[in-house]
Amino acid sequence: MDPEFEIVGIRPMPQTGVRESKKRGRRGPAIAAATLALIVLGCLACDLIMTKDPAYLNLYGYSLPPCREFLFGTDTMGRDIFSMIWYGGRTSLLIGLTATAFSTFLAVMIGAVSGCGPEWLDLLLMRMTDILLSIPWLLAVILAQAVLGEANVLSLSFVLGLTSWMSIAKVVRSEVRRIRHSEYVIASRCMGGSFFHVLWKHLTPNFLSSIMFMVVMNVRNAIVAESTLSFMGVGLPVEEITWGSMLSLSEKAFLTNAWWIILIPGFFLLVTLFCITSLGNCLRETMSRGENILK
Amino acid sequence: MIQNRTEKIIYYGKKLAVFLASMFILSVVVFYVSRLAPGDPLLSYYGERVEKMSVEEREWAQAKLGLQDSLLVQYGRWLENALRGDFGISYKYKMDVVQVIGERIGNTLLLGGIGFVLIFCLALLLGVLCAWHEGRPLDRIVCKAGMISSCIPEFWLSLLLILVFAVNLKWLPSSGAYSLDFADSLGDRMKHLILPVTVVVSGHLWYYAYMIRNRILEEVRMDYVLLAKAKGLTKRSVMFRHCLRNVMPSYLSIMAICVPHILGGTYLIETVFSYPGLGTLTYESARYKDYNLLMILCMMTGITVMLCNLAAQIINEAIDPRMQRGGQTGGSDGP
Repeated sequence: MDPEFEIVGIRPMPQTGVRESKKRGRRGPAIAAATLALIVLGCLACDLIMTKDPAYLNLYGYSLPPCREFLFGTDTMGRDIFSMIWYGGRTSLLIGLTATAFSTFLAVMIGAVSGCGPEWLDLLLMRMTDILLSIPWLLAVILAQAVLGEANVLSLSFVLGLTSWMSIAKVVRSEVRRIRHSEYVIASRCMGGSFFHVLWKHLTPNFLSSIMFMVVMNVRNAIVAESTLSFMGVGLPVEEITWGSMLSLSEKAFLTNAWWIILIPGFFLLVTLFCITSLGNCLRETMSRGENILK
Repeated sequence: MIQNRTEKIIYYGKKLAVFLASMFILSVVVFYVSRLAPGDPLLSYYGERVEKMSVEEREWAQAKLGLQDSLLVQYGRWLENALRGDFGISYKYKMDVVQVIGERIGNTLLLGGIGFVLIFCLALLLGVLCAWHEGRPLDRIVCKAGMISSCIPEFWLSLLLILVFAVNLKWLPSSGAYSLDFADSLGDRMKHLILPVTVVVSGHLWYYAYMIRNRILEEVRMDYVLLAKAKGLTKRSVMFRHCLRNVMPSYLSIMAICVPHILGGTYLIETVFSYPGLGTLTYESARYKDYNLLMILCMMTGITVMLCNLAAQIINEAIDPRMQRGGQTGGSDGP
């Protein structure tokens, strides 16, 4: 710029902090992804890792602290915690994924029908969503599970999916309402595209990015929910090994102050949840917000 | 803006109608689902004796509790009584359900109330602190710590706290709301509250603190901040007198919606700490088919949720009158 004609009071283009945040943001998710991959692989290949049969009740060696033979100790029923972690992680992760698949499917269907449908249907579905949201989560799960009978992996996933689709459906609905009158959607409709064709080819790609974060968080929430329920004794029974059902022995562990029964499964649970959350946060588009004027 | 009087009446009338309809549907859903589930309500009324009952005795007992009629008749009877203010008796406690709830509600309000106030203040404090130090180490450390804390499952945190403070250090009690001999002592109550309140707060705190932080960071990038700064105002006065003031209304409306979440959170925590509040009561009644108790508890939660949503909506409308119309037609539609 010509120095003679300097404009007074000019503000430099706000530096978008993209480059910096990219540099800092890259490393975190990579570590999280690697850790998560390690845990998932360990759970999938649990047959190779396990040193003991996870379901074997060792009556002489219950509540043993971690030692060379039992790396993470044994629980109050004499099972080897190290083997149980990997074996049970499989079930925990499976429930997380299945429940999310259920809830996402439900959310997309209900959200899309509500978004595309006539006014009265929209009102009805959204009111229903609000009512379901007003039932406390724990209560809803207990009631739904009671209807389905004794909990197993599939029915518990179904129940968790059934009780967690509401907030995603709301987002899907508002996104669908926003784009349903776009030219390409109308064009597709005019050419005879069915509801599912329009939904899959035109609507889904548009709202996928906005629900992706919530879907990932749903995996996390489902894992937490399963462990909470199993811990309280309303989810999977103690014989079905998951991280949650391992923690349900904690009441007995308090009596003998057996910290490893509580700390070790919880630690694995926490690390998994943290990794999933980091990945979810990474998925969420980082908005460049411009410069902080107040600095 | 709604200026016309009749329009105003219609507007609120519609809200009331939707509210009543929602309550009705909620009651039907809970009533139906709770009875659909297998389980024996007689067990909670008669306890272990049920096992020894003959068929005739069972039938007599069922008739006495009105469990033999069809679901429709049962619901009709419940609704009729409920509209007259009679919600029936609890099978387990054999008292009027209102009385049972009256004994427990104080505990839950205490736990939830203290938790809410703490969350409200601490979230504001943390949010402002992070926004003030944006991008600097303090901000980053707090953000990381907050994210980890938001990942910890509440029940596990409870276990951890019990293990450390109750089992090992023996500083704090692990369950209940008060010791047997000290029912009226405030200090004793507080002692029992520390661990549950910690879990309630840590479960929700970061979500709201992070929201405040991001809201303020958005606000700080507005043009009026540049003007205020050009005027020569200090960072502190811009932050607290301008930015924070603009953030506050939306924070209030969010905190109104947060009330039912905290309430729902206490359910789990109360159960883990065997704290005698509404949460344990709901859990028990759902598991042991104490129908009347379950119904009124569900209705109460439903009313709380809807009132809180209403409060949030009113706050939002007071901030931005355009929302009144927008909210009614269900969001903006395309051309």
